[in-house]
Amino acid sequence: MLLRLKQHSVLPGFHLALGYTIFYLSLIVLIPLSMVFFKTSTMGWERFWTVVTEPRVMASYRITFGAALIAAMINAFFGLLVAWVLERYQFFGKRFIDALVDLPFALPTAVAGIALASIYSSNGWIGQYLEPLGIKVAFTPLGIIVALTFIGLPFVVRTVQPVLQDLERELEEAAASLGATRWQTFKCVIFPSIFPPLLTGFALAFARGLGEYGSVVFIAGNMPMISEITPLLIITKLEQYDYAGATAIAVVMLVVSFILLFLINLLQWWTGKRCR
Amino acid sequence: MSIEIQNVSKTFNKFNALNNINLHIPTGELVALLGPSGCGKTTLLRIIAGLEFADKGSIFFYGEDTTARSVRDRQVGFVFQHYALFRHMTVFENVAFGLRMKPRAQRPSDKQIQSKVDDLLNLVQMQGLADRFPRQLSGGQRQRIALARALAVEPKVLLLDEPFGALDTKVRKELRRWLRHLHDTVHITSVFVTHDQEEAMEVSDRVVVMNKGQVEQVGTPDELYEHAVNPFVYQFLGNVNVFKGHLDQDSHFHTNDDNRVASASAYVRPHDLEISRIADGESIAATVLSVLSLGATVRVELLDVQDITLEAELSKELSRTLDLKKGDQVFVKPKQMRVFTASGAVVAAA
Repeated sequence: MLLRLKQHSVLPGFHLALGYTIFYLSLIVLIPLSMVFFKTSTMGWERFWTVVTEPRVMASYRITFGAALIAAMINAFFGLLVAWVLERYQFFGKRFIDALVDLPFALPTAVAGIALASIYSSNGWIGQYLEPLGIKVAFTPLGIIVALTFIGLPFVVRTVQPVLQDLERELEEAAASLGATRWQTFKCVIFPSIFPPLLTGFALAFARGLGEYGSVVFIAGNMPMISEITPLLIITKLEQYDYAGATAIAVVMLVVSFILLFLINLLQWWTGKRCR
Repeated sequence: MSIEIQNVSKTFNKFNALNNINLHIPTGELVALLGPSGCGKTTLLRIIAGLEFADKGSIFFYGEDTTARSVRDRQVGFVFQHYALFRHMTVFENVAFGLRMKPRAQRPSDKQIQSKVDDLLNLVQMQGLADRFPRQLSGGQRQRIALARALAVEPKVLLLDEPFGALDTKVRKELRRWLRHLHDTVHITSVFVTHDQEEAMEVSDRVVVMNKGQVEQVGTPDELYEHAVNPFVYQFLGNVNVFKGHLDQDSHFHTNDDNRVASASAYVRPHDLEISRIADGESIAATVLSVLSLGATVRVELLDVQDITLEAELSKELSRTLDLKKGDQVFVKPKQMRVFTASGAVVAAA
């Protein structure tokens, strides 16, 4: 298999490229991550289990994974909408909005957290109107979702956009000429094409949300059991020189994240081949 | 199902794409819209389909006004130049698409869909490829599937937008013949757009020659070729030699300066240009520039006394008898020509 690939390839250097890839990935990703497992293994199975199943830690998993999932779903929906508008319509200020999308990438996350916290706090610009309605955003789990939505927006927009751009208008015209309604055209023709990139964008936004720390700590309030995220717990443990405890929680996050991302990637292979 | 186009005009940003088009397309005919790029032929086709809407004028399908109807309700089959197949669906699902999209009450059962799609795949000679994806097919195969998909919903009218434009010459010729044959079996009123005069002549019952948003002439391929009404049509339908000259009192064409009444041009097809070694009363002296063998025929390029390059097409035998060589002095005489005045009107066909 490897040999055949080499023979039929136009560009030479398969072995070199593969070797470099493995070396690079090991150096940058695998070796540092294996240290997490190595460090954890010093504490023994029983202590490991006690640390990672502590009620406060369990609550933080729920908050972290839950908020990241909800934020990623919000981003999948609205990110698709933004990408659609940017690709399909011509309007004044389009370039400006296009540039705005990348801003969450460029902004230091702490700045984003402080900005969001001040806007959504009970006397902030938006918070003062939400407060009377009984909606509290800053210093609650809702605030975490807002922060993660902000952070993850560019992922979906930027993965879906190029695919939407390549989608020929003729496909829609063909569907319409065959009698498909607008909804059927979207469901059966457009959506199957943009589903894979949408899922990729969703996975990226979700992964980013799991690891996000900077913006969240400013808006979350960080109350144990309520709005404390797992990355913050890890930092807290590190500050207390409990390195093994910190890496133990990190291992759990790592394994769960990997499994979830792997499942999302598997989902990509499943696409609707037929439409009803 | 006849199509009636009445006073249709369309403007894009001050550009007159279509200018007051009137056209009748009889039931069951295969009609070509022929013209250079930018002449409005595709726009007209898209207006017939309902993918575009006219600024002015009406479209009737079999006497029924469909001007305001959207493409969804017009029951047209549309075939695109770049196929527009659904990439994520198999060939089968592509063809079945229109049937599956029908409102639930009219939707055929799975069994009916299966047999209908099988029939269509047989019709387009693509049986056995039902499980392939479009990317696994060649261009010609894709276009056949696109055609089968369009026919699946039993459209009243079939519209094809440069259907062979993206294919290579050999496949294009094959598909042309096949489309003609298909039309003879299905007899659906069809309109197809092309910029290739050979394609239009070979495939269609009737050709509509368009230029600059207007219809120049409508007729059978023979009529157009033999009786072009103006220089544009004459030139667009094939290679042509133009002789500048004058008309005398009896409306006879002369290239010399005697008896001039009005200026005119004579148009002669390359195969209507006779070459001879001996001068005769009406012939024009010319020098052979090149002799090019094109298989069955020989193309001779000549330079006449007015310093105009001429092109003549001879049969292989004739060229062998004449034994033309570069630099030879010869005499040419049109066997048949069409004379137009400066304003473009036909004078006579001598």
